[in-house]
Amino acid sequence: MPHYRTGLIVPSSNVTVETEMPALLGTHPDATFSFHASRMRMKQVSPAQLAAMNAQRERCVLELGDASPDVILYGCLVALMVAGPGEHERVESLVAEQLATGGSDAKIRSSAGALVETLHDLGARRIAVVTPYMKPLAQQVVDYLEAYDLDVADWRALEVEDNTAVGCIPGDDVMAAARSLDLTDVDVLVLSACVQMPSLPLVEEAERELGVPVITAATAGAYSILRALGLPLALTGGGSLLRQDAPVPVPSI
Amino acid sequence: MTRLFILDVPENTTVADVASQDPAVDVQRLGPYFVVSSAHDIVIDRRATGCRHAVWYSCVAGLGDSRITQWDKDALRVERR
Amino acid sequence: MSTLHDDHLVRGVDHAAFPTFDPAGTVRFYRDTLGFPVVHSICAAGWGPEDHPDFIHFFFDIGNDDRIAFFYYFGLEQPESLGKGDVYARFGPETPEFFVRSRHLAIHVDSEEHLLEYRRRLDGSTWPVEMQIQHETIESIYTHDPNGYMVEITRALRPVTPQEDLDANLTIDALMDIADTPGAGMAELLTRKAELIVERAQAWEDDQADRREVRASPEGPVHA
Repeated sequence: MPHYRTGLIVPSSNVTVETEMPALLGTHPDATFSFHASRMRMKQVSPAQLAAMNAQRERCVLELGDASPDVILYGCLVALMVAGPGEHERVESLVAEQLATGGSDAKIRSSAGALVETLHDLGARRIAVVTPYMKPLAQQVVDYLEAYDLDVADWRALEVEDNTAVGCIPGDDVMAAARSLDLTDVDVLVLSACVQMPSLPLVEEAERELGVPVITAATAGAYSILRALGLPLALTGGGSLLRQDAPVPVPSI
Repeated sequence: MTRLFILDVPENTTVADVASQDPAVDVQRLGPYFVVSSAHDIVIDRRATGCRHAVWYSCVAGLGDSRITQWDKDALRVERR
Repeated sequence: MSTLHDDHLVRGVDHAAFPTFDPAGTVRFYRDTLGFPVVHSICAAGWGPEDHPDFIHFFFDIGNDDRIAFFYYFGLEQPESLGKGDVYARFGPETPEFFVRSRHLAIHVDSEEHLLEYRRRLDGSTWPVEMQIQHETIESIYTHDPNGYMVEITRALRPVTPQEDLDANLTIDALMDIADTPGAGMAELLTRKAELIVERAQAWEDDQADRREVRASPEGPVHA
């Protein structure tokens, strides 16, 4: 079975990427994954700290490059989206250039780019979004998605600024926010537009209860990684998005 | 015939002018080139042309049945081969 | 079939890259003396198969969105070689100076005033202008950067004329015809080029005249 080294660039206060990505990708039937994180110092999700964090990106790429990863995920969605449309393409290409200049074959994806990629691949036009951010940052995330031809029909901001606290938001709060959304004619629900807000255990349940495809920044990240590596979408527990290539279970007679 | 080709660009026009002052020399046009011909040797005095060195040493575009026997700070001499 | 097959598609210099062992001097020369902005940099390590130190790849804007770039490798020993040349290539004392100088970067400016402004910047620095020369149709200043690379800044004395393009092509076609002949020199080239002038120059001029007529016609070109 092929093995893939997955580099993760995460804010120093993030704990969820390193929990949810292994939980998801570890269910793949045809491949094994190891995870190698490098951290950018950041505790408060404020514009000043996000800018300071981005300056640490090159060091993180250097550290991960030494481990010869197959793919790297830049795991801070809001840090890219606050810079405005086009930022995930810009940052992904800068990292790609940095890797290629040093002779690394690693692919680079970002959670921000992965969310856009996933929504486009699903053919989504009208979406609803739950975020943990303060309202002004949440509005910037909504504006970013709308710049990519996505109509954000309804959205919620849980207004948690401390990033450690974001990692501890109870699933009930996330689900309550999702239930309060107007999902009329919505193609896809983004249950967590943040890789730090825990949401993976909620995805399957939310799809059953709300009757729409449900994705999160983490499931979109896993989707983008599988696509980058050319692997089938055959994961368990990440919702319909990540089961598309899984064998259909034969009903027992 | 001794025959020398010079490209018609502003820096080179004095080269053709000086060449034509010799009554034995005939200067015709062929496309954008001066064709400088003579039954004798063609001798062009550099100082009379007023050319800077860089222009002087790059003014010859072609030689028809001829060879350059002198091309220095004083003169360009072309003889029949 | 692609419609691009016959098109000249490239758009100038993306970047020309050189190694440096003196990154601070290089920045002082290009950014602080010449005023070329730093526009890009990459911090990388050698992750490929070759053993490779950590390095910085940094870029200066040389106008027109074109860039000159440098590699600085941390801890890499400068090859110990004396002689003429630069940090990339050195030659023994028997190598003629014109050959050593033949490989260089020339950067374009639009006017004499602009050329002299760069002369002023260089003359006030550690790297004054070493030569100012008028060539056939250009005027240039030269100096060497802190790495020993020769840098030329040049302006056109007049626009290039269409006949110079023809002449250049005839020269190169003549060169192609004689270059592989052992011992062939300038005499052979000029003889072959005279033959090409006789073959092609009149037709070229007639074609130019036709184009001028089309441009001058008030109705413009007639399309069937």
